[in-house]
Amino acid sequence: MHISDGVLPTSVALGCYGLTAVLNGVGLWRLRDHTEELPKIAVVTSSFFVASLIHVPFGPTSVHLLLPGIVGALLGPAAFVSITVGLLLQSLLFQFGGITALGANALMMGLPALAAAYAFPRLRGRTRTSHAIAGAICGAGGTALAAVNLAILLGTAGESFFGVAKIALIAHLPVIVIEGVVSAFVAAFLFQVKPELLRP
Amino acid sequence: MIIHLPFFPLLALAALTGAAALQLRRRRRQNGQADAQEPDWSAPVLDEAADRDSPFHRWDARLKIASLFIYCFLVVSLQTLTWAAAALAISIAAVMASRIPWSRPLRRLAAMSGFLTMFLIVVPLTAPAVPGETLIVLDPFSSLILHGEGLRLATLVVVKACAIALLMEPLLATAPLAVTLQALAALRLPNAICQMILLAHRYIHVLGHEARRMQRSMRLRGFAPRTDLATLRAYGNFLGMLFVRSFDRTQRVFEAMQSRGYRGAFPTWTTFAATPADWAKGAFWIIMGIILLTMDRLNLC
Amino acid sequence: MHDVPAGHPLPPRGLPLFQIRDLAFAYPDGTQALRGVDLTIHHADRIALVGHNGSGKTTLIKHLNGLLHPQHGTVLYKGEPVSGDNADQLRQEVGILFQDPDDQLFCNTVYEDVAFGPMNQGLPQPLVDERVQEALLAVDLADHAYKPPHNLSYGQRKRAALAAVLAMNPLVLVLDEPTANLDPRQVRQFARLLERFAGTLICITHDILFLQGLCDRAVVLVQGRVHHDYAFADLVAHPASLREHGLDFSFRLSCCGDGHHHANPEPRPQPAPGSGATGHGGVPSSAEAASSRIKIRPGSSAEGGTEKKALIELRRCSYAYPDGTRALREVSLAVRHGDRLALIGENGAGKSTLAGVLLGTLAADGEILFAGQQLDARARRRLWRKVGIVFQDAADQLFCPTCWEEVAFGPQRLGLDRQEVDKRVREALATVQLSGYEQRVPLNMSGGERKRLAIAAVLAMQPELLILDEPTAGLDPRGEELLLAILGHLPLTMILITHDLFFINALTERTVVMHRGRILRDYRTDDFLADDHLEEAIGLGYVYRNECRRPAVSAR
Repeated sequence: MHISDGVLPTSVALGCYGLTAVLNGVGLWRLRDHTEELPKIAVVTSSFFVASLIHVPFGPTSVHLLLPGIVGALLGPAAFVSITVGLLLQSLLFQFGGITALGANALMMGLPALAAAYAFPRLRGRTRTSHAIAGAICGAGGTALAAVNLAILLGTAGESFFGVAKIALIAHLPVIVIEGVVSAFVAAFLFQVKPELLRP
Repeated sequence: MIIHLPFFPLLALAALTGAAALQLRRRRRQNGQADAQEPDWSAPVLDEAADRDSPFHRWDARLKIASLFIYCFLVVSLQTLTWAAAALAISIAAVMASRIPWSRPLRRLAAMSGFLTMFLIVVPLTAPAVPGETLIVLDPFSSLILHGEGLRLATLVVVKACAIALLMEPLLATAPLAVTLQALAALRLPNAICQMILLAHRYIHVLGHEARRMQRSMRLRGFAPRTDLATLRAYGNFLGMLFVRSFDRTQRVFEAMQSRGYRGAFPTWTTFAATPADWAKGAFWIIMGIILLTMDRLNLC
Repeated sequence: MHDVPAGHPLPPRGLPLFQIRDLAFAYPDGTQALRGVDLTIHHADRIALVGHNGSGKTTLIKHLNGLLHPQHGTVLYKGEPVSGDNADQLRQEVGILFQDPDDQLFCNTVYEDVAFGPMNQGLPQPLVDERVQEALLAVDLADHAYKPPHNLSYGQRKRAALAAVLAMNPLVLVLDEPTANLDPRQVRQFARLLERFAGTLICITHDILFLQGLCDRAVVLVQGRVHHDYAFADLVAHPASLREHGLDFSFRLSCCGDGHHHANPEPRPQPAPGSGATGHGGVPSSAEAASSRIKIRPGSSAEGGTEKKALIELRRCSYAYPDGTRALREVSLAVRHGDRLALIGENGAGKSTLAGVLLGTLAADGEILFAGQQLDARARRRLWRKVGIVFQDAADQLFCPTCWEEVAFGPQRLGLDRQEVDKRVREALATVQLSGYEQRVPLNMSGGERKRLAIAAVLAMQPELLILDEPTAGLDPRGEELLLAILGHLPLTMILITHDLFFINALTERTVVMHRGRILRDYRTDDFLADDHLEEAIGLGYVYRNECRRPAVSAR
């Protein structure tokens, strides 16, 4: 779920832009001596972008995956930059999320990814099962965090929007479960097939 | 004031509209490719209409981006429906002036429709009561009350979102992507971000094709997505493989870049030279935004 | 245009371009790719770098471009060790054409991609413009300069990638599998382009016929060492010694022994030791061995003219893509039980679309019948239970963490019980000679193993019709030979989509030629092989056979 233009108060939208800029600045500063990483993060970002186009059927409707947990586990601290670029492209190409709400959307998705980047290496353990569990926690937790962020941001728009915020939270419950399960499978797959991709 | 509306006829009307839309969509799909289960991996090309000619195409990309960006923020600050509608009208005029085929801006509106529909339904129902507002009661359910103020707010959001979404095409599709990105770099967007956008935009298409081929071969081995664990496992494996392939590709792409002399930056020569006309266009948009906002705040109709 | 690689100084007379001494390299995962390579490359050498997959060819060429730095031993370029400034200079003078053009076209228009190199060389804008125009003209893509690469066909992307390298006016051109996935006309176009290139040429490929006339020196790598370094003619002349390294290309050359006898198809006559020899400078002994090794065309009864019931039949099927491309125009085709059918045609002729219709993924206008039953939309979508396909790129097909899961995926979707699934997996893996691989990770297996695994994954579903799309793409000769043996033994109705005439000859008895969405010819493979008018008809030079008839080693 992305926030479109016109929902957030201008001050909140601008504030989120500022914070996003700072976090990106930090992310890029950490990469300053590793310019070779940039093209790589870019290509991986496009794979997250493509992954987010998948619709997993959920009863009569479908949900599309965001995978903040896996992005964090794969890219570590660079995840925030990757997510900002991915969301910018989603906004530019598809209008998923408005251009004025880009900062807010980047915070909504990027903070959970950073949390996963922190948590995953500490949870992953050494076995396939422990990786799956760590993936599930990061996937489900990351999505839950994103849903909370969304609710908070909608809440800043005023009391009239509390109802929407609540419904958005409830609507995310199945997404949290699905994200958790898929992230678990992805983490287990990567552990079996190419463990070096998961950051130590 | 309390207005009574009949609920069931309204419901029937909504159902009919929805069914018509579904029908239209299904027919379009049947004309199109393959089966309905095929997910659409294709991403639109951002600068497809870059080779046309219009005041937007002739506008210095830096000033175009900067002034329209500021204008967008002025528009989201609007608080009355009247002036938001005026902004929407201006956006429609801008799309027409930029000579972009309507299919593209309409696709943008369609992409937002889910989010905005939720707003239109939920906010009027859940908004807190405001003294003096109009209430709409849906007979025979006396508990289903639409709050006039909530309805106004939701409509305001929708109108503003549409006004800005429509501007995206004149903003982005009227110059080649490379020029747009150079303009962003000239506006002090970090070079690293510009490079990543450039590369990511290209590889979205490559990896999209890759994902489509993988999904097709999964389907040919009997994969049909359902709500069950086997489906989620298959998706998990598929995504894992997609990421692994993209990581492998990053290595090869980077080597290809290096072997053609890449040393951390994309070479460019585009030099921007803003003419007085460019500045005038920029000033026009910002002044228009300020006028909209002033009228809005003064609540002049 | 490329007479003089202007702008780059040649090494002093007598000094070689590259001197490689005792070069060794191991990847971080421990794979020892090179173990002491000694190689000297002079200006204007035209080298064929051959060796089976995993012998270190790609690792070696990455050292020539400074992408990898020697871990042990030395690489001297124009007498200087490669490092720092020298490496930048090296990259500007040595161009590599990588295998996958999508790796190399990383910009959003062809123009930007081709200009990327020259701009990095620091050339002024007018000169870059000129270089780009020239390079695009040379590869016949001048009209496509401002298109995004993803809107070009594979062959066009490959040529665009070559243009991007040529625009840098390289002194040395390194090509990694340049002909993979190209159709014969595109291969010839590529060969013509390279013949005009005047600098040093280093070409990695298994396509030995492509190398003929292009290269004059052959370097054979075996397990990270230079095993042979001799005149190209010697490479083909001494197949026996190559055979022990799994580099026996001659099993391909032997096919033209058949081509001469198109009047008498079954059983295949063994080429007499003398008759073939005249053509191939000493190949025949191995040719004989080859044809006795390989099961060539099962003596099926399909050719007997008996009216067999069609397994799957298309009647006047047409298909147009959403963008308006009419890929199939009123195609009628009946595939009978036991048929082994080759489907050929230029890239874009409609072969893949036809496969899509047979698989039920594309809904064509027209009738489609399976075992005599006309299929409605619902039945068409269930065709996957009966028709299997092995795609060109195994990577598009393999997505599971273990071989067992990979092969079991299809049977599980068929709703079989665990025991039956297990049995099918074991059988399928045994058929493709991968028994014991159940718990291996498909991603870490070799190209040939992955291809066979992809075949097993389809075989386990026990399809009634098997479609193979360019099965030999990316395989080395050893892998091809094994694949041929496996496919030859499969008792299945089969459609082979390929440009590889050797495989067509060895595996099929019927050939369907497509051109611009229509079926142009549908006749016996022997008639196809004897058809000298095909090139005029479809503008597609299946010249392989003619090449074979000529003395194999002589220059073009």
